[in-house]
Amino acid sequence: MNADARQDFALAFLSILFEGAPFILLGTIISGFIDIYLPAGTMDRFLPKNRNLAVLVSGLLGALFPVCECAVVPVIRRLVGKGLPLGCALAYMLAAPIVNPITALSTWKAFQGQAPLSMTCGRMLLGYLVAVGVGLIVSRISMRRVLRKSIADKVEADAAKEHHGPAHAHEHEHSCCGHDHGHAHSHSHDKADDSRLIAAMRSAQKDFVDVGVYFTIGVAITSLFNTGIAPGAIWLDSLAGNPAAAPAALMALAFILSLCSTSDAFIAATLAKFTWSAKLAFLVFGPMLDVKLIFLYQTVLRRKFILVMALSVFAFIWAVAVAWEMWFGKVVLP
Amino acid sequence: MKSILRRVVFSLSVLLWAAVILYFYESGRIVKYLAPDFRPLALAGGLGLAVLGLFNLLTAHREVDCGHDHGEGEEHDHEGGDMSPLASLILMTLPVGFSAAWTTDSFSQATLARKGLYDNIQPSDAPFLASAFPAPTREEIENTHSKTADGYLQFSLMELFFATGDRELQDVIGGMQIETEGRIVEEKNDNPNGTRMRLYRMFMTCCIADSRAIPIILEFGKEPPLLPDNGWVKVAGTMSFPEENGTLKAVLEVTRATAADVPPEEKFLRR
Repeated sequence: MNADARQDFALAFLSILFEGAPFILLGTIISGFIDIYLPAGTMDRFLPKNRNLAVLVSGLLGALFPVCECAVVPVIRRLVGKGLPLGCALAYMLAAPIVNPITALSTWKAFQGQAPLSMTCGRMLLGYLVAVGVGLIVSRISMRRVLRKSIADKVEADAAKEHHGPAHAHEHEHSCCGHDHGHAHSHSHDKADDSRLIAAMRSAQKDFVDVGVYFTIGVAITSLFNTGIAPGAIWLDSLAGNPAAAPAALMALAFILSLCSTSDAFIAATLAKFTWSAKLAFLVFGPMLDVKLIFLYQTVLRRKFILVMALSVFAFIWAVAVAWEMWFGKVVLP
Repeated sequence: MKSILRRVVFSLSVLLWAAVILYFYESGRIVKYLAPDFRPLALAGGLGLAVLGLFNLLTAHREVDCGHDHGEGEEHDHEGGDMSPLASLILMTLPVGFSAAWTTDSFSQATLARKGLYDNIQPSDAPFLASAFPAPTREEIENTHSKTADGYLQFSLMELFFATGDRELQDVIGGMQIETEGRIVEEKNDNPNGTRMRLYRMFMTCCIADSRAIPIILEFGKEPPLLPDNGWVKVAGTMSFPEENGTLKAVLEVTRATAADVPPEEKFLRR
């Protein structure tokens, strides 16, 4: 890497890191405190008992708990460990960065003069449909085909614990406190608050490091693409007028650029040569799947599942965008 | 002992991120990396990381109970990471450390070119910004822009560039005597007589990685004066928005051009 390339990489790398780190911190602080203070299974009580209805509601939780895609992954990682049904977790994870008031406002603002209401509503609706679609499918397949082994083991252990009742839970090999207890060791329920605070902060730090490692790798790759984007831009421009290729091209661009969902609309709005539906595809696909998210998702999900989900989501959004352009695009375009 | 070492290593990783973010914020160099809205977030993030890292470093020796119960045989660990602490430390710190050392707070000319510096100026088609302008009457524009001693209205380059996407604004600004500032480089397009230069600034929506060059054309009508390549200049003249070869352009017919100090928001450039 020559000096120019190094400085370009460093500038892009640090800027994306500075932008994303606060959001990851927010997510991991929340996840750390959930880990220590939220009893397992609590989330279940907030959702409808009906499995399908629970997934549908989970897709809307971003309206109440708005988080961007960087912050949502550590939160989901923890909530799954706490017993949130996997389909609900995936629906929330994919929908929350899109179906939330901050993203809606930024999209509406960015597309002033370019059918802002249609774009904002279209983005939220398509994002919600994709998210709950994935959630409904995931809720019908084995957890072990979706989650990383370590997390699946933990979820199953928690489920087994609940099944056996609390009496078992008081006797165990315990390492979370930093030391091992004998098998017959009993925990007191009267824990000092500062102990729990320290445990929560340690858990948050552990989550931050876990996510930070993958985020660093993702940002590094994004920066390499970002600073060499021009040849791609020329190629992209050549595809702008093609109703089938344009959405795919912009989704590929969203994947590479790894923009935050709260701000990506301002980039999309400047892609003047592209159709409305191609921009919609950009705005829905980007917050669900991009380079850095691929790495973040690996802290929760199996690689094979991520690949299948990525291809499926890509194909579905592409099909919707193409169909929209063919049937309605000319009506809605400003 | 192993647990304490792991906590210390994790804390150091977090503290290094905090130190880098806070250093860039405190030194003012953050302005080259993030748009204004994101700078307070970076400060909050840096402070938050510092608190997290310091708290865990100072309490690393404490053995605490996490306060809830776990099932029999469950491998329950609130602190163990996905990979070894050493690997985490390396991956967390080396890219950040090298980048902090390598960065000059600016893109190379090659990357600036890739980000549109020398592209033909296209109509900005960014009505979200145009909509933020005041109603485009001459009187209102004069009321909202300062005037230089020699009578030029001071415009930001951004306003001039984005006027290419607002026909009403072009009608008002066209013919106005204006002054603006930016960095001056060679004009590589439609410059057969060699009388043109290009004035640009970088516009970022969130961070410099998503930035793009915002250029206008400077028409000197003769051989341009000798000004430092890519240096900061103040230029004054008459603004126009002609259509050339089917493309709408923002052109300033220059009557005055002088080298200028780096503006405050750009002063932390290292070269």
